[in-house]
Amino acid sequence: MPTIISTFREEWGRIVATLVRRTGDWDLAEECTQDAFERALARWPHDGVPERPGAWLMTVARNRAVDRLRRDTLRATKLQQVAMLGAPDASRDSNDEDGRDGDSIDERLRLIFTCCHPALALEARVALTLRTLTGLSTSEIARAFLVPEATMAKRLVRAKHKIANAGIPYRVPSHDSLGPRTTGVLAVIYLLFNEGYSASAGSELVRTNLCEYALELARLVAHLLPEEPEAKGLVALTLFQHSRHDARVDARGNLVTLEDQDRSRWNRDDIDEAQRWLNDARMQEPFGPYQLQAAIAAHHARADSTSGTDWRAIARLYGQLVDATGSPVVELNRAVAVAMCDGPATALDLVDRIAASATLQGYYLLPATRADFLRRLGRRDDAARSYRQALDLVGTEPERRFLTMRLAEVTD
Amino acid sequence: MQYMYIHTVDENLVRDDARDAEIQEVLDSWLNETMSSGVNLQGSRLRPTSDATTVRVRRDEVTLTDGPFTETKEQVAGYDIVECPSMEEALAWAAKHPTTLIGSIEVRPLYEQVDKAVLPDEKPTTKRYMLIVCVDETIELSPEEIAGIGPATDAWVTEAQGKGMRLFGSRLTGADEARTLRISDGDVIVTDGPFAETKEQIAGIDVFECADLDVALDFAARHPVATFGALEVRPFW
Repeated sequence: MPTIISTFREEWGRIVATLVRRTGDWDLAEECTQDAFERALARWPHDGVPERPGAWLMTVARNRAVDRLRRDTLRATKLQQVAMLGAPDASRDSNDEDGRDGDSIDERLRLIFTCCHPALALEARVALTLRTLTGLSTSEIARAFLVPEATMAKRLVRAKHKIANAGIPYRVPSHDSLGPRTTGVLAVIYLLFNEGYSASAGSELVRTNLCEYALELARLVAHLLPEEPEAKGLVALTLFQHSRHDARVDARGNLVTLEDQDRSRWNRDDIDEAQRWLNDARMQEPFGPYQLQAAIAAHHARADSTSGTDWRAIARLYGQLVDATGSPVVELNRAVAVAMCDGPATALDLVDRIAASATLQGYYLLPATRADFLRRLGRRDDAARSYRQALDLVGTEPERRFLTMRLAEVTD
Repeated sequence: MQYMYIHTVDENLVRDDARDAEIQEVLDSWLNETMSSGVNLQGSRLRPTSDATTVRVRRDEVTLTDGPFTETKEQVAGYDIVECPSMEEALAWAAKHPTTLIGSIEVRPLYEQVDKAVLPDEKPTTKRYMLIVCVDETIELSPEEIAGIGPATDAWVTEAQGKGMRLFGSRLTGADEARTLRISDGDVIVTDGPFAETKEQIAGIDVFECADLDVALDFAARHPVATFGALEVRPFW
């Protein structure tokens, strides 16, 4: 039932967040939300979808939680939790019905910030955010990250235990730390997106669907934090990247570089939406890394071809990004843009400088980029040497095949 | 003289119920004996390393790591502060502690005697944490930096104490003055040195009581040692 599916995605996080807030029990919150959705799937086909599905689900989930808490041995904390669930609270109850303002939005914000707390291991933050906010099962999340289900289950349990045992507070961070903590949340979402983006053509659907979930979370955070331009920047960036999804990999699962992609396969709706988000972001200070990356992606999206791309503007944006992040990977990307507008000889100097700083050892794109410039300069033997260095370091199959193909070009 | 017991165990060790019950019994009587005789001033079991967070500050950037300050087989599992006339007596009491059934106990004299070493009762609304202050002796500091540590630490202590968050704390004598005790085949074995030769060595501890982890982490990040060492924030059990 499509209505249930879409309601599922929208309401899951909100209901879990509310129950966590009121009971302090994450497992209980997830299980009762699960129960409510199962009840809906069983009843709605016969009874029809209720007028306010969100409120129906919230009520059922909450009643389920009250039931379970009462049936557990009556310890003081359980009674407290029952009281919290049942207490008539004018602001809370009305928001449950209305669904989209005040307290109920804050609940998801509390949940996201807690899931992404920096005291949790990064992989735990990613898993817990997915589990509590998108409704993906532990088994689906395990498959998405290519780990055994038991491993993922343990990861989630440890994270929840740490939240309780270490006293990680369930709240939106104070004003002083909101900036860095928001950056942390955006980083988790972007990591999720990249995990899905790098999933190859033959991967399981749940893995490639990570992009959709990440986009959804990015939109949610941008909606919940309207004063944060970087949140909008992230939506723009991920949408621009997502727009290229169908053109990235060819029929045989080989990676297609940006310059060779069939641009007619880029999703124009995604591009238009991304541009709107970027425009909105640019009306607010400050101009951060996600917006800069989105602006770069916007230039690519607007261009008909590689040669028609405004590489000088892109190189300039990369320069700003280097200033903002100090990242040698970004410096490398800047070198690639410089090669396009000033030629590979100039760019080669930049790459050699990065190599000399030894900040990108073990990163295959450094020798790969160097090889590309040497190839374009006709220095075939030098290029071959660098391609071999890159092949020693490369990680995924599509990228390996690409480099092997390039190596063959300079050695025949 | 006051000494700290640093209890360490291998967290991956498979424990069985019978063993645990035995440990509880021995612990109960050990606590009875040492508390009634005034030997035991304070102590607590600590939550496992999966609940720990380590704070380091480098080039003004605070980095949090999920987990303990070091990845050794044996990990800190609890502590006691004892009052004994000598190291030998401190070791003798440690030998009777049930940690020796499953791990080892590092005994370290406190750097200076502390007046109020007995902790107040726990409150229901706050959490207690141990801040394990560790120094990386391979990091070289300038003479100015070294001179600044003492006053900066004093200021930090004063602030934390003033806010009612720091209940107790002490610098420890150097790791080279530690003695580590374990029982092997029924024999008490005492070795010189700390429980593990790690890059970062325990230099002191603070016991904090505050609303939540964020408060504890914030204080840990502002400790002068965080810039050339690490502070592990471990919840009490």
